[in-house]
Amino acid sequence: MKKLLSAPALFAAAGVLLVVGVVLAFWYSPIDASSMGFSQKILYYHAPIAAAGLVAYGVAFVAAILYLRSQDMKWDRLGYVSVRIGLLFSILVMATGMIWGKAAWGVWWAWEPRLTTFLLACFLYAAYWVLRSVVDEEQRRATYAAVFAIIAFIDVPITFFATRLLPEGLHPVVIGPGGGGMEGSMAVSFGICMLGMLMLMAALIRRDLAIEDLKDRVTDLKTSLGG
Amino acid sequence: MTVAEGAKYVAAAYAAIMAVLIIYYFMSSRRVTLLRRDLELLESEAKRQAPAPGAE
Repeated sequence: MKKLLSAPALFAAAGVLLVVGVVLAFWYSPIDASSMGFSQKILYYHAPIAAAGLVAYGVAFVAAILYLRSQDMKWDRLGYVSVRIGLLFSILVMATGMIWGKAAWGVWWAWEPRLTTFLLACFLYAAYWVLRSVVDEEQRRATYAAVFAIIAFIDVPITFFATRLLPEGLHPVVIGPGGGGMEGSMAVSFGICMLGMLMLMAALIRRDLAIEDLKDRVTDLKTSLGG
Repeated sequence: MTVAEGAKYVAAAYAAIMAVLIIYYFMSSRRVTLLRRDLELLESEAKRQAPAPGAE
């Protein structure tokens, strides 16, 4: 009940921040002076979505470790839900990234380090879901999924640092030192969008956890009623 | 790239984000509604099957 109550509050806060952030991005932040021009406005949601997706995978990684240490199913559930939200954000990153790539580089897709490692992360976490669906026994499924989530997470820091380690790629550095040369007003709008997107990710995880709780209660009742 | 050209891509990107998030939100809301309905039905069935107070 507590979770159900807190998720709407997070949704509301995320909604306000995301609306304020995008309004500032369009009416306060200037149009990018580089060749990207107006299409750079995609950045204000695209990069925060990517960051939120990677954070969700990070949550799944931590949950996997906690599950392996404690064998408590609540960590398995958190990992499962986090991967689901991470995948949702990854789909959005791929979609908006392709649109931005077409606008900025003239191509929908390029096999450059950031994009390739991000695509690999999507495949790895999609495989995590497939793995869960093929193992029936609950405890074994949770253990395999936790081990897989830890292995899959290796790709996340590689994706994040790909633009720094291999600067010859097309993708610019956005977060961190020298982050894309963002000027003050751009950074403010970007920061608000980032905070909003992280809150949205947290709200979606909390909501999905509440749904999983509800599903468990229904299953338990069905079992106790003999059906 | 002109603002008009860029605006088409920007609109497409934001529309994609909104569409996916709204669809996901409403799909999960529907799941919650269905699960709550199932839960209510099952709880009332459990109450019905439970022996009445004082019954053998």
